[in-house]
Amino acid sequence: MISVGLFYLVLVAALYAFFYRRSSERTVQSLRTAGKALQTMAPLFVAIFGLIGLFEVFVPPGLIERWLGATSGFTSLLIGGALGAVALGPPAAAFPLAGSFLQAGAWPPAVATFIVCWVSVGVVTLPVEAHVFGWRFALTRNAVTFVAALFIGLIVGSLA
Amino acid sequence: MSGLFSVFWSWLRKQWLLALTATLYLWAFAVDPQRARLALAAGGHTLLSVSVLILAVMGLVGLVQAWTNRDAIAGLLGKESGVRALLLAALCGTLVIGPPYLIFPLLMSIRRQGARWAVIGAVLGAYAVKLPMIPLEIGFLGWRFSATRSLLTILFSVPIGLLVEWVMERGEKAEEKRL
Repeated sequence: MISVGLFYLVLVAALYAFFYRRSSERTVQSLRTAGKALQTMAPLFVAIFGLIGLFEVFVPPGLIERWLGATSGFTSLLIGGALGAVALGPPAAAFPLAGSFLQAGAWPPAVATFIVCWVSVGVVTLPVEAHVFGWRFALTRNAVTFVAALFIGLIVGSLA
Repeated sequence: MSGLFSVFWSWLRKQWLLALTATLYLWAFAVDPQRARLALAAGGHTLLSVSVLILAVMGLVGLVQAWTNRDAIAGLLGKESGVRALLLAALCGTLVIGPPYLIFPLLMSIRRQGARWAVIGAVLGAYAVKLPMIPLEIGFLGWRFSATRSLLTILFSVPIGLLVEWVMERGEKAEEKRL
């Protein structure tokens, strides 16, 4: 993750250098906007990563697997969506986890719903989304996406 | 005394998430200090590993704000550009990588420059498809599963965006009426 970050940072720094030659005044203004954005977001980041740490240590992965494997049908679809919505972690981690669910005998539609919700619906990041876009947007978008994820899961399950 | 309290109250209203996290940690340290320390270390490690990325994205937000042409963005991603804007948004969503809390400020800077709400909604909808990560998904779940899931997610992202926009515009209209 650090190397990806460094790559982007170098890229952005190069962009700044390029734009600085075109207009130093506007580029300094960019830098000031960036600083202000960082300042208002920093406490939120600290809080979110604190929560991620708690989640990783206090919620064992086996628990999640048991919930999704034990039930079937519409309930497991809802559980799959809800788990994906509260889960935290990089998208790359969703695939191996989903694969282990499938192997453990979970219902494929529930697994597909789980993946879509994992990435697109975020209960823990909801405060950040609301902070940036407002509560109306954040709540609507997450609710609509959750319902869409249920349909996507059902269709994938009947096709795949 | 009441002045101090009101200062604390306004801080709490702004930083309630930070306060909540701190409270949870206090509880965790009281119940199980060893695991609480592990949690703190895990969180700190994740924060450190993405801190460089956070810096880079905030820098990008600043550039978008000061350098993009308002009219150009509005023309490309605004109300007038119709379906093309939404398809462009869905495509961008599949290419965007990085955690959502970094995508939000970036998208909001585009919104402030005149992009329509449906574009923001569609990007976040299609965001569940990660083109650079498709090989990984196929490896774990098989190509039929990941192909249908990806295709459906992209198809659904446009109506998701439109629905979100409809709700937002109704809210904005109600707000105007009240004022």
